[in-house]
Amino acid sequence: MAAVPVARASGTLQSTGVRVATVAVVALIAALVLGWSFLVPGAIALAGGLYAAQLAIDDTALDVSAPVIAAGLVLTAELAHWSLEERDRVLGDPGDGLRHGAFVALLVIAALLVGAALLALVDAVRAESLTLDLLGAAAAAATLVGIALAAGVRGRSGQ
Amino acid sequence: MTRSGSPRIESHAVLAALGLVGALALRRPEVAILAAPFALLLVVGTRAARNPGVSVEVVFDEERTVEGADVHGTARVRAAEYADRVELLLDLPPGVESVDGGAARALRLEGGAEREIPLTIRATRWGVFDLGDVEVRARDPFRLVVWAERHRGRHRLKAYPSELSLHRVLGAVETQAFAGSEVARVKGEGIEYSDIRDFVPGDRVRAVNWRASARRQTLVVNERHPERNTDVVLLLDSFVDARKGGRSVLEDAVRGAAVIAARYLARRDRVGLVSFGGTLRWLQPGMGVAQRYRLIETMLETGVEPTYTWADVSRIPGRILPPKALVVGLTPLLDPRFVSALENLRARRFDVAVVEVDPVPLVESGTSGVEPLAHRLWVLHRETLRARLERQGIGIGRWSGGALEPALEEVRTYRRYARTARV
Repeated sequence: MAAVPVARASGTLQSTGVRVATVAVVALIAALVLGWSFLVPGAIALAGGLYAAQLAIDDTALDVSAPVIAAGLVLTAELAHWSLEERDRVLGDPGDGLRHGAFVALLVIAALLVGAALLALVDAVRAESLTLDLLGAAAAAATLVGIALAAGVRGRSGQ
Repeated sequence: MTRSGSPRIESHAVLAALGLVGALALRRPEVAILAAPFALLLVVGTRAARNPGVSVEVVFDEERTVEGADVHGTARVRAAEYADRVELLLDLPPGVESVDGGAARALRLEGGAEREIPLTIRATRWGVFDLGDVEVRARDPFRLVVWAERHRGRHRLKAYPSELSLHRVLGAVETQAFAGSEVARVKGEGIEYSDIRDFVPGDRVRAVNWRASARRQTLVVNERHPERNTDVVLLLDSFVDARKGGRSVLEDAVRGAAVIAARYLARRDRVGLVSFGGTLRWLQPGMGVAQRYRLIETMLETGVEPTYTWADVSRIPGRILPPKALVVGLTPLLDPRFVSALENLRARRFDVAVVEVDPVPLVESGTSGVEPLAHRLWVLHRETLRARLERQGIGIGRWSGGALEPALEEVRTYRRYARTARV
């Protein structure tokens, strides 16, 4: 995923991008080899950040490849976490891996569709000059909801 | 069940938050599109997660086994709600291992369904093991939420020491009054021929040796050795243990004691046990199958309990050491208190033999400085100790955990030629 912005960038940004992408890949490999799950979001955030930086610096128009990048990041995160879960060497039912693989594929397709829908929405709204306001409000609300839900799940016990 | 978030939930929350804040900061909607699937997964996944209410019951078929033998069992798993992945982690104590591909299993359960998972375990050493503890983890389809619970098992498995090859045991110098398989040194009614003597009134006619009588021109009768039983006391050294890798001298000593006890009991001898160490355990001499099980059950409780207090044989109740008993010590000869106890028993005219569970292969000599020299001195000191005990009339056979026969043969050879040794 980090290769896309690196390939698009040029000059200093490209050389910096290569370094950041290398750090992201190393972090992901370290997470998988050492079993450090906290490195997984770091590696994905680096790849996503590289893409964001490339967009901000180049100041391009609305990038239509965003849903694909988003789906790729979801796929990377899911596969990394699945790999970490398999470190426990739990003997599963036959076909268990295939079934979860299919579920991950469904998630990736869903991410692609959600990204495409959002992109279409942004494109439509941008035409009416309300894009950033609406997106900002949605982002803030979604962040708060997400963090509240995460904190709720981590904090609850004894159910 | 305790509900908690998986590492995925933290990861997705961080990525969603970073992406959305980044979108605001950079004023790029594409960054929000990157974050949107993670935020959506978080919301949908946590809302859809339901406690599956998994319950587990682990049952094993046997309560007693022999070390190394397979024990079969079943884990019965039930779920009230759909569980995408239920992981069962069988918590096995040290000394017990799972035979069929690891102690962790995963399965999928529909709501209200029940499944039985066959389990096979094996005790790698003798002992008493509490089994049945299972760690259960259930995950939702998005693998964001984990419900965990620990089910306590109540199954106690007793693993008896495995049978070692042993055809002949040590014969006691003196026998007891009851019939048994040991040929007594005294003369009396028996099968084994001993000598001939002149006929005296009262002798049975069937005892007359007619050939010898014809040659001597006077009546002579055969004398025979009666078959009697013996009293054997197994003295187990539990002061100290030496272990390396999978071998432990205490475990070997118990294994050897179990085999020796079984062989003596098969000969109708009375066998008692004294586990001499930090805690003194004993079992009065007895005979029969019930005594065999009593002995093994007592042995299973044997463990090293460190103590610095001096212990000698005066702590052992008198009725445990019957007169004329053969005392067989199983010891690595590492603790001076046990050596002193052996010498003390010998001084009390007990017939004492020692199976030395050799700890030397378990001790590495070291390579630096004076370590190899210290090791050689220690080995020499052991030789001196062995010679000292032999001078007192205690036969010693060295045993390294394999077949017991060579060790007992070593003792037998010593007793054959050095029986006259006196303290």
